[in-house]
Amino acid sequence: MAPELATAAHVRYFKHCLNLLPAEATSQDATRMTLAHLCLVGLAALGRLEDSLSEKERAGMIEWIYAQQIPAGRGAAYGGFRGGSLFGPHEACEYAPADSGNVAATYSALCALLLLGDDLARVDRAAAVAALRQLQQPSGTFAPHPGTTELDPRFIYCACAVSAILGDWSGVDRDAATRYILGCCSYDGGMTQAPFHESHGGHLYCCVASLSLMGRLDALPDRRRTLQWALFRHAAGSGYQGRANKTADVCYSFWVGAAIEILGGHALADTAGVADFGLQCEAAIGGMAKWPSYRPDPLHAALGIVGYSFCRPDALPRMSPELLLPDRVVRRMRALADDVTRR
Amino acid sequence: MRIEATDDLPPPPELPMSQQPEWSDVTPLPQDDGDSPICPIAYTDEYRERMDYLRAVMAKGEVSRRALALTARVIEANPGHYTVWVYRKRLVEDLAADIAAELDWVCDISEMYPKNYQLWHHRETLVTRLLPPAAALDLPEDRRIAHPTIRRELQFLGRAIGEDSKNFHAWSYRQWLVATYAIWDQELAFVDTMINEDVRNNSAWNQRYFVVLRGRDPASAALDDALVLREIDYAVENIKLAPNNESPWSYVVGMLLRHAPARLYTDLLPRITALAAAADYRAAMTTTPFYWSALVDIYEQHAAAAAAAAAAAQPERAAELLDQARAACDALSTEHDPVRGAYWAFRKTTLV
Repeated sequence: MAPELATAAHVRYFKHCLNLLPAEATSQDATRMTLAHLCLVGLAALGRLEDSLSEKERAGMIEWIYAQQIPAGRGAAYGGFRGGSLFGPHEACEYAPADSGNVAATYSALCALLLLGDDLARVDRAAAVAALRQLQQPSGTFAPHPGTTELDPRFIYCACAVSAILGDWSGVDRDAATRYILGCCSYDGGMTQAPFHESHGGHLYCCVASLSLMGRLDALPDRRRTLQWALFRHAAGSGYQGRANKTADVCYSFWVGAAIEILGGHALADTAGVADFGLQCEAAIGGMAKWPSYRPDPLHAALGIVGYSFCRPDALPRMSPELLLPDRVVRRMRALADDVTRR
Repeated sequence: MRIEATDDLPPPPELPMSQQPEWSDVTPLPQDDGDSPICPIAYTDEYRERMDYLRAVMAKGEVSRRALALTARVIEANPGHYTVWVYRKRLVEDLAADIAAELDWVCDISEMYPKNYQLWHHRETLVTRLLPPAAALDLPEDRRIAHPTIRRELQFLGRAIGEDSKNFHAWSYRQWLVATYAIWDQELAFVDTMINEDVRNNSAWNQRYFVVLRGRDPASAALDDALVLREIDYAVENIKLAPNNESPWSYVVGMLLRHAPARLYTDLLPRITALAAAADYRAAMTTTPFYWSALVDIYEQHAAAAAAAAAAAQPERAAELLDQARAACDALSTEHDPVRGAYWAFRKTTLV
C-alpha cells in the first residue's frame, strides 16, 4: 500500500498558521488573504476543513474577510477585496489609493468565503466586476490594482477566477485576454509571463487555467507540445521543476500538475513519482517545504498537498485544477451563481 | 573633545517614533484587525509603530519628505505592501525627489528582496525618467551602452545574475532594458558568456532566442539563412559539451519549428545523427531522451512536408518517415525516458 500523508500533523500546521504567523511573515502582511485561502484549501484538500474549525471560528473568519471588502464610493478601480487589515480602517482613508482592492485578494477572499461555507450574499458583485473592467489593459492583461505597472497572467487568472466564481464575465474582455496569453507561448512549447520571457510552470498554470475558465483552451496553437513541456518538468526520482534545468520544488506539484490535469494529461504523468516527492517534502511539524528538509510555509504546504491530491484521487477529495477549490465547493459555487442569475 | 573613529561605533538606537519631535503632530492610526483575525502576524514593536504612523499619513495622502522616508522604512520590512508603492511613486513625483537617489535606494533593497516584483517595476519607471528612451535612441549602440544610466543598469544586472544566474526577474528586466534602449549587440556577447559559464542555464538560452529575434513578433519575423545556420552550429557545439542537456535541444528544435522547419531535416538531422554515430559521442547521444525526442519532431515535420508537397506528394516517403518517428517513440517509452513512458506511447498515436 502506498504511504499516506501525515494528515494530523498537516491539520495542526494549518490551524497554527491560521491562528498566528511568526514575525518573519511580515513581508506577507499585505497578502494575508492569500495565506488564509491557502491554509483553508490545505485543510479542505485533506478533507478536514469542517471538523478542524468550529462553526464559531468559521463565522469569525467570514467576518474578517468581509471586513476587507472595499466599501462603495472609493471609485470603480479600487473595488473588490484588499489583502489584509494593514491598510487601515476604511472610513479613515481619504486618499483612495491607500485603501485599494487587489484582484489577487478578491480571488482569494471569494475562495476562502466559499471554503468556509458562506453564500457570498454580502459580496458587492457589481463593484468586484467593475474593478476588473478598470484593471484590464489594452494588451489584454490585467493590473492587480490601480497605479502599478505590474501586469501579467497571474492577474488575468485572478480576473477569470473571480468572473467564474461570480458567474459574471462582463468585467473581462475574453478575446483580448486570450490574445495576450497566446503571446506568452514560448519557442519550447511552454508558456510565460510576457513575450520572450522564459517558460515557467507558474505562468503556464495561470495561462492554461485562464484559457480553460474562459472556455478558450482550443485557442492554444499546439496543446500537445505544451503538455509535453509540462511533462518534461518531471525529473525522474524527484518532483516537478518550475523551469528547465532547475531543482524540483513541491509547489510545482500544483502549478505544473494542475496544468497537466487541465490539458488532459493526467494518465500520461508519473503521478506515483510526484506523490512520492510530496511525501519527501513533508515537514516533521506538519506542512510541506519547497525542498526536502527545509522549513515549511503555507504556500508550499497547501500547493504541495493539493498537487499530491491530483496524484491520489483514491485517497483524498477531488480538487478542481482550475480554481484551487474542492470539486464539491465548485459545484456549490455554480449553484450560487445560477441563483443570482435567475434573480 | 574630538571623538576618533566614529565609524567603528554602532549607530545610536533609533528613538521610537512617538518620541521623535518630527512626528509629534501626528496621531498614529492603529490597525483594526477585528475580533477574529485570520493569519495574524506576530509583528515586532518597531514594525507595528511604523505602520501606525504610515496609516496616519497615508490616510490623508500627506505629501512630505518625512512620509517619503517612512515609506522606505515600511517597504524595507514589507516590500509586498502594494499600496505603499503607489503612494511612494506619488511622493517621488510631487516632491520632485532625486531620481538617482531613489534608484540607489532601490538597489539597496533589491539585494534584500531579489524576487520582489514591485521593486523591479519601480526600477523600470525610474530608469525611464533618468534616460527617456527617445533621447537615447538617437545615439549609436556603443554610445548608448556607455551612458551612465545604462552602464549602471547593466552592472547592476551583472551582479544580480552573478548572484543567481537564473533569477527570472533579473532576466525579464534585462529584456526590458535591452529592447527599450536597443542594445542588442552587447547582449549577444553577454548571453555567450553566460552559456559558456553554465551550458545548462536555460534562462541564458531563452535570452539567446530573444536576442536572435531582436524582440520581433515570432509569428511574422523572418530569420535569414546565415543566422539560422549559425544558430544550428552553436546549438550542436553546445550539445556536444553535454548531450543530456534540455536547453540547447529545445532551443534549436523550437527555433527551427517556428522559423525554418525544413532545416530540421536537411541541416539538424545529419548533424545529430553523425554525432550519434561518432565513437566519442555515441553513448551519451543515444541514451539522452532529448536526442530521441528531437528525432520524433524532425521525422514528423518532414513527413508532413513530404505528404503536402504540392508538385510531387510522396505518400510512401511520408509513411516511412512516420515509421521512424514511431520507432523513436518506442525507444523513448521502453528505454530512454521511462518516467514519461505513457506519454511517448500516446505521442506515438499522434503520428498519423
